[in-house]
Amino acid sequence: MFRHPWAPYAFIAPAFLGLFVFRFIPIGLSGFGSVFSENLRGDMVFVGLKNYAELMEDPSFWNTMRVTLIFNLIINPFQICCALALAMLVRRPSRFIDVFRLGFIMPMTVSIALTSIIWSILLDPTLGPVNGLLRWAGFQSQPFFRSEHQALQTLMLVATWKGAGYWMIFLLSGLLAIPKEIDDSALIDGATGIRKFISITLPLMKRPLAFVLVADTAANFLLFAPVYIITNGGPNGATQLLMFEAYQAAFAYINHGRSMAISTIILGVVLVIAMFELRLFKPAGEDQS
Amino acid sequence: MSPRLSETLRYILLVSIAVILLTPIYWLIMSSLRPADHIFRFSGNFSIETLIPFAFTLDNYSQALQSNVGRALLNSLFVSLTTVICGVFVNSLAGFAFAVFDFRFKKLLFVLILLSFMMPFESIVIPLYTLMRTIGWTDTYAALIMPEVAGGLIIFLFYQFFRGIPREIYEAARMDGANWWQIYYKMTMPLSGPTIATASLMIFIHQWDAFFWPLVATSSERLAVIQVAIARNMTMEQANWGAFFASASLAVLVAMVPFFWLQRHYVKIVITNADR
Repeated sequence: MFRHPWAPYAFIAPAFLGLFVFRFIPIGLSGFGSVFSENLRGDMVFVGLKNYAELMEDPSFWNTMRVTLIFNLIINPFQICCALALAMLVRRPSRFIDVFRLGFIMPMTVSIALTSIIWSILLDPTLGPVNGLLRWAGFQSQPFFRSEHQALQTLMLVATWKGAGYWMIFLLSGLLAIPKEIDDSALIDGATGIRKFISITLPLMKRPLAFVLVADTAANFLLFAPVYIITNGGPNGATQLLMFEAYQAAFAYINHGRSMAISTIILGVVLVIAMFELRLFKPAGEDQS
Repeated sequence: MSPRLSETLRYILLVSIAVILLTPIYWLIMSSLRPADHIFRFSGNFSIETLIPFAFTLDNYSQALQSNVGRALLNSLFVSLTTVICGVFVNSLAGFAFAVFDFRFKKLLFVLILLSFMMPFESIVIPLYTLMRTIGWTDTYAALIMPEVAGGLIIFLFYQFFRGIPREIYEAARMDGANWWQIYYKMTMPLSGPTIATASLMIFIHQWDAFFWPLVATSSERLAVIQVAIARNMTMEQANWGAFFASASLAVLVAMVPFFWLQRHYVKIVITNADR
């Protein structure tokens, strides 16, 4: 490591200026704005924790919290398992494997907004080709996004369709970085199949998996576009995720204080999760330097 | 299981997954080439025509390009490419500092960077909008570009790569009298091709994908990016489906370009990116 009186600060200055203005100031603003409320004349008045108290008493807010947590507790492990399975499948070089590797990340090119629109058409109860196929094969049509009981699961599957290939790349790179000798010695010891995967591959994949868990959680935690475009939080609140609630408060009901309070709670939850996740990076930092 | 059998099984799995992942994209592009009144004619009742169009037309594309979609595509390209250029520069500078120097508060600042990428961007969208309104940036390109330039994930990516460059190289350059800026842009950056490519791809696809922030930050038609324009056309015109499928296909095809372009470096890029 080198030392220099000012060079390192000059090098980090532009990035930190950006992070400060566009990340840290908004965080402060959201805490600040959450203790104000607009009165009938349109002035902002200090109201203390009233916005929070209102949220705490609001059953629809608790529903949002519950849906968001359930959504994340299922989708993140699920997506990572799918991504890991894909990575294992395309790991060994063989015929056409490059085609599959490229093909599997193609859903990345469909933006989250387009993914939402396209899948809502594909899964439409009457016009959708998926239900057309189901009926053709002798099954009953499914309501998917139109049903209170299927909407959230469908949302998870659609988000996984888009995301699994992307996270596969990071896991694949981890798999490819495993030295060949380790694999060979495992074979000599007679470890094959699932045993080899659990006792040898998985421990070596700890760091890529930690990275993907962190990045995937950040990507999914506040999923917005599909809720905004497809379900509008429905049916009956089944897909009312936190970010959509904050958006509605800010732009549909123009309740500034409430939206800032929701934003602040979101930031608090995210920060708690991030604190846990920072631990995942710690051992990595130690064995590196 | 014999190796032959397990290999066959593997390919069966590979092909079925590819079918699930690619069919929606195929269906999108194929539908865009159908006459508008054919798009849903075969979709609800499954037949061979559901999958293969018997009538072709490019009408949907000419219709889409005559609407606001042409401008929206250019807006998205401009915003994405500008962010890529600024983002690669700003974040590689910071990654370089963390990889090469020891300085006061380094640990603390690094934790802030990790936190900034663990924090979903959406979580600050609403307060960020308040900030933009205060400084008068709503409805400007700057509002679309500037917040996405500095990013913890990209700093981290560069940092990981720069750490791997042996310090002897820097010592030799210092002996020759090079200053740190010269070392950064004449030595380190030219060595970092694959990392720059990966970072560019990640920034590009992130900005191309962006929907929530552009929706909130810009309200005028003039500044609509492609994702927002498509979503707005859907609701405003009671869905002109032909134009929708054509503009969505265009948005997807443009996003495919960097993926195919970087395909040759694909595995190499990936290895440099996470093996350390």
